[in-house]
Amino acid sequence: MFNAVLTFDSDAAADAARAAVALNIDLVKAIEEGLAKGLREVGDRFERGELWLPHLMLGAEAMEAAIKVLEEHIPREELETISRGTVVIGTVEGDIHDLGLRIVASMLRANGFKVYDLGCDTRSLDFIEKAKEVRADIIALSSLMTTTMPFMKDLIEALESMGLRDQYRVLVGGGPVTEEWARTIGADGYGRDAAEAVKAAKELIMKKEK
Amino acid sequence: MIELTAPNLWEVLDRACNTGQIMAVKEFDMKIFNVASRLAKEYDIKYDPETPVPNDDSLADDAWKAGLQLFREVGAYCINSRRVIEFDESEIKDGLREIRGEAVIGEGSERRVVNLRSVEDKRPPSIVCGGVIESNFPEGELFVKLYQSIAQEPIIDGFYVGPPLQSSEGRLVRSGTPLEAHLGRSMVSWVREAIRRAGRPGMHFISACTSAIANVVACDPYEGLRRSDGIVSTIMPELKTDYENLTKVVCCHDYGCIKHVYNGGMIGGWAGGPEGALIVSIANAIMAVMVYKIGIGASYHALGYLRASSPNYSAFVTRPCVWGSAIGSQALSRNTNIINTAVAMTNAGPGTEMQFQEVVAALCAAIPCGREGLSEGVRRFKVVPLLGSGLENRFWGEVGHAMAGVKRDFANSLADEMLSRYENKITRDSEGGPLGHTFDEIYDLNTLTPRKKFLEVYEKVKKELEDLGLEFSHAHKEEK
Repeated sequence: MFNAVLTFDSDAAADAARAAVALNIDLVKAIEEGLAKGLREVGDRFERGELWLPHLMLGAEAMEAAIKVLEEHIPREELETISRGTVVIGTVEGDIHDLGLRIVASMLRANGFKVYDLGCDTRSLDFIEKAKEVRADIIALSSLMTTTMPFMKDLIEALESMGLRDQYRVLVGGGPVTEEWARTIGADGYGRDAAEAVKAAKELIMKKEK
Repeated sequence: MIELTAPNLWEVLDRACNTGQIMAVKEFDMKIFNVASRLAKEYDIKYDPETPVPNDDSLADDAWKAGLQLFREVGAYCINSRRVIEFDESEIKDGLREIRGEAVIGEGSERRVVNLRSVEDKRPPSIVCGGVIESNFPEGELFVKLYQSIAQEPIIDGFYVGPPLQSSEGRLVRSGTPLEAHLGRSMVSWVREAIRRAGRPGMHFISACTSAIANVVACDPYEGLRRSDGIVSTIMPELKTDYENLTKVVCCHDYGCIKHVYNGGMIGGWAGGPEGALIVSIANAIMAVMVYKIGIGASYHALGYLRASSPNYSAFVTRPCVWGSAIGSQALSRNTNIINTAVAMTNAGPGTEMQFQEVVAALCAAIPCGREGLSEGVRRFKVVPLLGSGLENRFWGEVGHAMAGVKRDFANSLADEMLSRYENKITRDSEGGPLGHTFDEIYDLNTLTPRKKFLEVYEKVKKELEDLGLEFSHAHKEEK
């Protein structure tokens, strides 16, 4: 499975998953030691500039293909323990820049998060609705323009007014977004780039668990 | 007289909004990756870090062919409708034939003719388009003084104004809201005041507000954006457009002002590495012809520097960016009539040696490679206020003119030298170079002149360039 993810081969990943089921291998271990490790390697190579965004997407697709086979054979509670956390991610209202968003979403997947990518130009209430639906741990917001950054603040205010602020950690990032801005609007975490966003997401989950 | 036979704007809009094939964006993105990767292999295009400015004509021509083929196979994508805007081979051929290779900008004594330049052209660029991108200035007087400091530089023929400021009437501006529309008009009024104070009321500028309506309300032949000015429309990475940008194109078309189309192939993005980003940047330029119709009316295009999404996030003047940009410039200059200008944003801030070095490296990939002009800014991108001044615009202009007639071999060695001086500062683990100095630090705002300390930095770098063999004599201008 590790190799199937590294070679971006969804069919091979699904075949390997079926073989693991047939051989009665520990499936949780197969996900952690095979699929997740493979995708982390893809992420590391992306970080080193050896692979590109489409590789991240293809690697994640291969992993999804295998998980689809495996999840029928793993109890739901056990599957949930494998995930590092659930993230609802998107670019804020008025902003149609998706490249950074896709990179961060892929890197989060590569690091074991369950990611719901809402894409570009997403309204605050849509983020919140999705977070409620999937019981997300983190809402991650991206913005590439100074004139769309204020929509990040809106989401936090909306969470507060709905009495949901304590339920979700809010992570922000994107071209013009600074740590200072994150602090000013009351976000819980900030990522200067994709690697830092993943690090911040891990820290937020650890804090939440404490 | 050229007969216009390529699909007109209304037909293109019909394909974008009504009739194009509907496709999921992910499918479109992955198609770009697959086709660009295949074409890089077919044409044997390989990134060579040893040669930031290649002088291989056949490489430039192969890159052109690969870009053309990519556009033919993939087309363009409208984000709102999720439709693919496709063209057949004969339509693309007709579209490319319609480009005139000349545009008139500015008015009165500031009227300029922007021309197509060839590779290693001895003529200086007809336009040096300055500007300050990605910093944040307050509304009003300081904004006026900033653009006055640029407009008062005789070597600058026009400039870029954008992105929108963060406030209007003291209130926070959000994208697409009524305040942004008001701000678009205000910014243009302040620029008119700046060029009037500089004694150049007919000077050309381009407005780069993100929402179409902010540009539309600024159009006014007297006190606003004139027909000799322009509106920036963007092609998003990769090969994508949306209704905002198409509306800007329609506005330019109906109002008759200049179209300035910007695109930037992105290293590490949907087209893959430096080779794919080079190929897709050429396809993006063809999209400007076919979708944004730059062959109709006056226009000039900016093939953006190839930005690396990883490992140097958002950096414009890195070694692979210079390589791709140099070949892309040559490919367009040798094979089309597209007037191609450059947009490059530096990592280092104003008033620093590193910013000047980045400017030189960017220009090596532009002027000797057949580009017409340039615009610039600081890509620190973290909303640092007041990062920009007329001084670095003067540097762009002076070095841009000095680059006229420079051979690619020399540009290659100069770019290599400049890159080697700063590239260790723009790695993932570094700080990205010095932040630089603010406008009020660099300029005496009462007299609007650069302070001695910064002029010394300027002259020091210029002297170093002279020692490396770059001639600042303007004698070659006479050959024009």
